[in-house]
Amino acid sequence: MDIIVCIKRVPQTAEAKVEIESSGKDIVKDRLTFDINESDTYALEEAVLLKEKFGGTITVISLGCSDADDTLRIALAKGADTAIRIKAEDFDELDGYKTAQLLSAVIKDIHFDVIFTGCIATDDAYSQIGATLAELLGIPHATLVTNIEVIDSISHVHRELEGGLQEHIEIFLPALFTIQTGINVPRYASLIAIKRAAGKEIKLVGQNEISKDQLLLNTQIEELFIPPVAKQVKIITGSPGEVSEELAGIIREKGLI
Amino acid sequence: MTNKRSLVDVINPEIRDFLVEMGAEDIYKCYQCGKCSSICPWFQVGTYDFPIFRLSLETALGMVASSEDKKELEEEVDKLYRCVGCEACVDQCPHGINIPNILRAARRLLVDFGSYPDILKSIVQKIHDVGNPLGEEREKRSDWAKQLNVPNFQPGIEYLYFACCIPSYDPRVQNVAQATVRILQKSGCSFGILGVQENCCGEAIRRIGAEKVFKEVTKANISSFESAGVEKILVTSPHCYTSFKNDYPEFGANFEVFHITQYFSGLIEKGKIQPIKRFDKKVVYHDPCNLGRQNGIYEEPRNILRNIPGLELLEVENFNRSLSVCCGAGSGALWMEWEKDERIGDIRINQLVDTGAEIIAVACPYCLQMFEETIKSMELNIEVMDVAEILWESIG
Repeated sequence: MDIIVCIKRVPQTAEAKVEIESSGKDIVKDRLTFDINESDTYALEEAVLLKEKFGGTITVISLGCSDADDTLRIALAKGADTAIRIKAEDFDELDGYKTAQLLSAVIKDIHFDVIFTGCIATDDAYSQIGATLAELLGIPHATLVTNIEVIDSISHVHRELEGGLQEHIEIFLPALFTIQTGINVPRYASLIAIKRAAGKEIKLVGQNEISKDQLLLNTQIEELFIPPVAKQVKIITGSPGEVSEELAGIIREKGLI
Repeated sequence: MTNKRSLVDVINPEIRDFLVEMGAEDIYKCYQCGKCSSICPWFQVGTYDFPIFRLSLETALGMVASSEDKKELEEEVDKLYRCVGCEACVDQCPHGINIPNILRAARRLLVDFGSYPDILKSIVQKIHDVGNPLGEEREKRSDWAKQLNVPNFQPGIEYLYFACCIPSYDPRVQNVAQATVRILQKSGCSFGILGVQENCCGEAIRRIGAEKVFKEVTKANISSFESAGVEKILVTSPHCYTSFKNDYPEFGANFEVFHITQYFSGLIEKGKIQPIKRFDKKVVYHDPCNLGRQNGIYEEPRNILRNIPGLELLEVENFNRSLSVCCGAGSGALWMEWEKDERIGDIRINQLVDTGAEIIAVACPYCLQMFEETIKSMELNIEVMDVAEILWESIG
């Protein structure tokens, strides 16, 4: 089974104080650390589990600048066979649609049975790449996947819905799945695999291989801003009777009951 | 590492060379005498197989963290992170081999490839992003000193007092920094703090293996010390002491570093502070690994305690000074969660309790936090205090 996994190198912002850069369209990144996008690590692990079961190859693809090579090398150490970086520096401004077009331009020339992506990137949170890429390639897809079993070219897939519901669907391969976190336990890379990965070549694809003429940008960031913190605390004072009467009034007024 | 595969399958000279490149060159010195095993705290725990005497050989054979089986590799990586960096083995080794350094070579490779425990990833991330492992806001770093009228360090002030992360934020351990400042003020010491500019020293992250982040943190700290005109540093944590004294010179730093117990002991000797109030308690002193074994500071904390009227100083027979057993918090282990019967801290606390002491005196925020937690989990009737807290009770 030949599998493609699309991964992204993202800034780690969970603990950091995020600031907007002077253009107003991006965050300041020079003091941040970067790592593979969280749900992409689960996508990669799912690919390795399928490869262990059925054999085949795993190709990881990332659209990014040269720093993304570190992320691809981690993927190689964790079980991918080949890595391709689409040179982001060659393609100016990017959005979800343009990214999917670039991925599609590369993937159309590779044999695959399954494509995995993470279900959401923790930086821009578009959740567009999986579905758009599947459409561009003309293959079926399922999003927010929490379980996959493949039997005779048919994948039995569980999807996560709102309210704790799960949907069970069947999809013919080749197909694309966007993977939800928690579907598996991502593995460590062994030192042997790290050593092997350190010596592997990362194939670069740029404007010489993909024509920029056909690429479309669908969205443009107007402004990035940190929402104002709105905290309203009302301290109610008085006797228990007065406090409860006023509290009941507020609850009624806000339509909470 | 314990390996379930056949030896022929797992010997890998390439991995050996890879690890030697990362700093594991001591592997060739080991002749398997096993002295390290007899002193390793895991040997005393007994419920977890940590064959430290084999690690040099296994590294030399390229067998460390090298399994390609997912489950087996998890166990091997877990084992690499069991070492608490207490350096009891280093102290005992007839060939002077630094086994924690050998393990750190493997840790560094694993960290670079995101292949280490998630909890430690989050600690490294927090130290990088907000300057402390607790994930607390930078702006609140000096809140502990708000009521104490401590000046920010500026040229002309003699000492920088570096409180460390845990005493800056942990409500229990803040008392240690506050007691320290009160004693310094009483002695007339010229000192200031960096306030919100203070950042974690990075000692733990270097030992976790996050060398790149450690270098970033270290260079930023050296630059902020130098631009503030700092020449002498007083530290509460032996981990900061190790970092500033032993690690930072690699990056061009040249500060005089004093552990606060060295400074206080000196103040008592010079008559600048006088412990006069009685402290009628039986107190056992626990030697922190980073202060005692790793930096040779055994006498000064004891000298402070001996000068406190009424205090009866006890020792852990056979397991004190260079033979002190780690509290179990070093090299990132403070944040690791191990099974209840697999905790080094439990072993050490039993040794301390067996002395009949009412109070455990420590000189390290990690030991303080670890023992507080251990006492709670084991429901023991003993108290932990930092030497500075006891001293302040006798002076204040």
